[in-house]
Amino acid sequence: MTTTPLLEAIGLSKSFPGVKALDGVNLRLAPGSVHALLGENGAGKSTLIKALTGVHRPDAGSIVVAGREQRFADPAAARAAGIGVVHQERNVIRSFTVGENIVMERMPRSAGRIDWSKVRGEAAACLALLDVDLDPATPITELSSAQMQLVEIARALYTETRVLLLDEPTASISGAESDRLFRVVDRLRDDGRAVLFVSHKLEEVYAHCDTVTVLRDGESVLESQPLAEHAHDEIVDTMVGRSLGSLTVPTRSAPRDVAPALELDGVTTTAGHHDVSLAVRPGEILGLYGLVGAGRTELAHAIVGLERITAGELRIDGSPARIRSVRQALQRHRLGYVTENRKEEGVFLEQSITRNIAVTVWSSLARGTGLVSGRREREVVSRYVDDLDIRISSLNQLAGRLSGGNQQKVSLAKWLAASPRILIIDEPTVGIDLRTKRAFYELIWRLADEGLAILLISSDLAEMITLADRVAVMDRFAITGEVENDHDYDSMSREVIRLIHADADAL
Amino acid sequence: MNEPGLLRRFVATPRFVLVVIIVLLVAVLVAVKPSFLNGTFVIAPLLTSIAVFTVVGLAQMMVLSIGHMNIAVGQMAAFGAMVSGITFDLAGWPLVAGIAAGLVAGAAIGALTGWIIARTGVNSFIVTLAMSFALLGLVPTIYSSLSAGSAFTTKPAGFDLLGRGSFADVCLVGWCGPAAIPLIVVPVALVMVLVAVLFTKTRVGRELLLTGASVKAAELSGIPTGRRIVLAHALSGALAALAGILLATSIGSFTPSIGDEFMLQSFVGPILGGTLLAGGYVSVVGTFLGITLTLVIRKGLELFGVGIETLNVLLGVILLVALSADRVREVRLRRGRTPDASGAATPEREEVAA
Repeated sequence: MTTTPLLEAIGLSKSFPGVKALDGVNLRLAPGSVHALLGENGAGKSTLIKALTGVHRPDAGSIVVAGREQRFADPAAARAAGIGVVHQERNVIRSFTVGENIVMERMPRSAGRIDWSKVRGEAAACLALLDVDLDPATPITELSSAQMQLVEIARALYTETRVLLLDEPTASISGAESDRLFRVVDRLRDDGRAVLFVSHKLEEVYAHCDTVTVLRDGESVLESQPLAEHAHDEIVDTMVGRSLGSLTVPTRSAPRDVAPALELDGVTTTAGHHDVSLAVRPGEILGLYGLVGAGRTELAHAIVGLERITAGELRIDGSPARIRSVRQALQRHRLGYVTENRKEEGVFLEQSITRNIAVTVWSSLARGTGLVSGRREREVVSRYVDDLDIRISSLNQLAGRLSGGNQQKVSLAKWLAASPRILIIDEPTVGIDLRTKRAFYELIWRLADEGLAILLISSDLAEMITLADRVAVMDRFAITGEVENDHDYDSMSREVIRLIHADADAL
Repeated sequence: MNEPGLLRRFVATPRFVLVVIIVLLVAVLVAVKPSFLNGTFVIAPLLTSIAVFTVVGLAQMMVLSIGHMNIAVGQMAAFGAMVSGITFDLAGWPLVAGIAAGLVAGAAIGALTGWIIARTGVNSFIVTLAMSFALLGLVPTIYSSLSAGSAFTTKPAGFDLLGRGSFADVCLVGWCGPAAIPLIVVPVALVMVLVAVLFTKTRVGRELLLTGASVKAAELSGIPTGRRIVLAHALSGALAALAGILLATSIGSFTPSIGDEFMLQSFVGPILGGTLLAGGYVSVVGTFLGITLTLVIRKGLELFGVGIETLNVLLGVILLVALSADRVREVRLRRGRTPDASGAATPEREEVAA
């Protein structure tokens, strides 16, 4: 390649407590190309995007924009250098119109006042450039999520963006909306700009991208290669790696003859699930696989009563159960839910480790006088800190000061302390380094061997195939199939991917 | 994992700074105006107002624990005191029963407030502000329709002893206590102990703090957050009512203006004492010390003949300083999460709030 790349990352590294999120990553975005950035959850894709746009400051390495090395002090500096980003979550000002959202970073003024006719005119020009049919005067709240995404792209164009980073833009939009997005992406490419495209859907990557970079555990294992030279299976292998190969998967014989501990029968929920059926037996790990936005976490929420079940039945140990809150799930059915978002939902960052773990057992420690015995509380907490090998300096340490892996262990210890019989574990290893990940895998196997019924939610296919006894696949709030896990990665991944796209093809 | 001793831990808290400032301030006041040590005319009234306003501070601290505010703390005090006044004046109830009625009324109005907040999800500032306006109209209306001269003046047995008595009234085998210490400090000390026990030893109190730390995480950890929100506001209402009743006993009658001065003070005490505005951390002793500091300053300026307007300016400045300190502490805590900030900067927060 002789052309100067519009954006180049050379040896970019970034560490967080306990995790090396980026480790010498190289990336070249050439003008007029659509570059796919692939990798599993936690591989470092989002960190890379944040490092490229001035959100994170890299510990080492350099960022070169059109031949000139740059150091971005903040996101505004990256925008000024012509690098735009559209995040997975929508980032619009809801009280503004479409036009105002497009020009808001540089409102056209005349005589010190905002020139409203110019606002509409320039916004309309941006939208026309993208061939998007939207009226700039429309309030942004009247738009669909996919349309807001287009508005964000238009905003990036308005500030003369040469490089556009799209973080999982198709994760939560429909097929038709994706097609329109790709028409816009194609236009940007034809216009000589560079697009970095993050996606988990390999089919659309092959259909629209020309170059590929794969991240795995923070390293760029495939660097700016022509996509056409790499076959689908090869890419998947590169993403997953065989680095977990050294982990010996125990031969577990999940019990078949016992009655399910947790059972969903034709369940429809207020979150939008329809006719979901699954069953988890004691001692068994049922994997619930699906892409981000498939409705897996929402199903967990419905089970613990955060969403309502409107039809069908939830059964615990064979008898119908109505759970209205996490507290009821715990106290009546000894069902625990280890949440997906540990920083906001799993741990109390500004509270001590003792309080974080003991919260589920206070009611049992407080019997009699109504006062919680500090000594017994410390006993319980210490036991689980030792058992899960949580690295802390003191039981009074704030949970927020622990590394991600240790925080996740605290989040799990909280539920183990309550001696559950059924455990729903939601994305346990996102953003966790490999070593802690293995510790988690061994722990989850052990819990299943001790007789817990475990529903494991993950969008990490390798993790699913390593851990689960059976894998149920969810797509668009419905179960599209269930596969007995033979722990053979190739056949399993093919089968699971087929189940995800079975539904998509029908539409 | 060796825990530092109690004294060392106390020295590391903002409370210790307060104690030092208060001691220095009192020393300076005594040196410049020896009349500051006058038991009957300076110390006793000072301790009485410290006692009353400590309860006001605890009322606010109760909702701060869950990250809420109670703008209506003064009006809830007026409402609770009014109910007590009615039971004494119109029903002739004895002291304890009348006070209980006032506390129940305060708890009820607080619970209603909390229920509205939990149910609608509207910010506590807005709901308590609305409640404050409603009570601001309701209380004087009831006073003027039920009493002559807009005050309830009937005093049941023990009323004056509680509000104006001192340890000089308590005599054991011919030896009486000091006149400088009013009896009102006894129930207030008891309340402080109860609130401290609530937050440090009981499940419910700890659940209040976790609800304040993160409602979402609390709900997902099995804490009935809706009920905890109602409880925090109910206790806030009850404590506000207690403060109103205690103030009434010390001034000698129930009037609609009880609680007028409570709202600002209620924030200054807890925040100076280390309670986080964002919720999740409270300090009973800190609230007491924060209140003590502001009232010592007030008393000192009074002795120098400084007017009430200047006092209020000073109170505003103190509040601003306290709020900035709160913000600085929050920022430091947040930084503490990422160990790349200097590790020693953030001490581990001690478990015991009292």
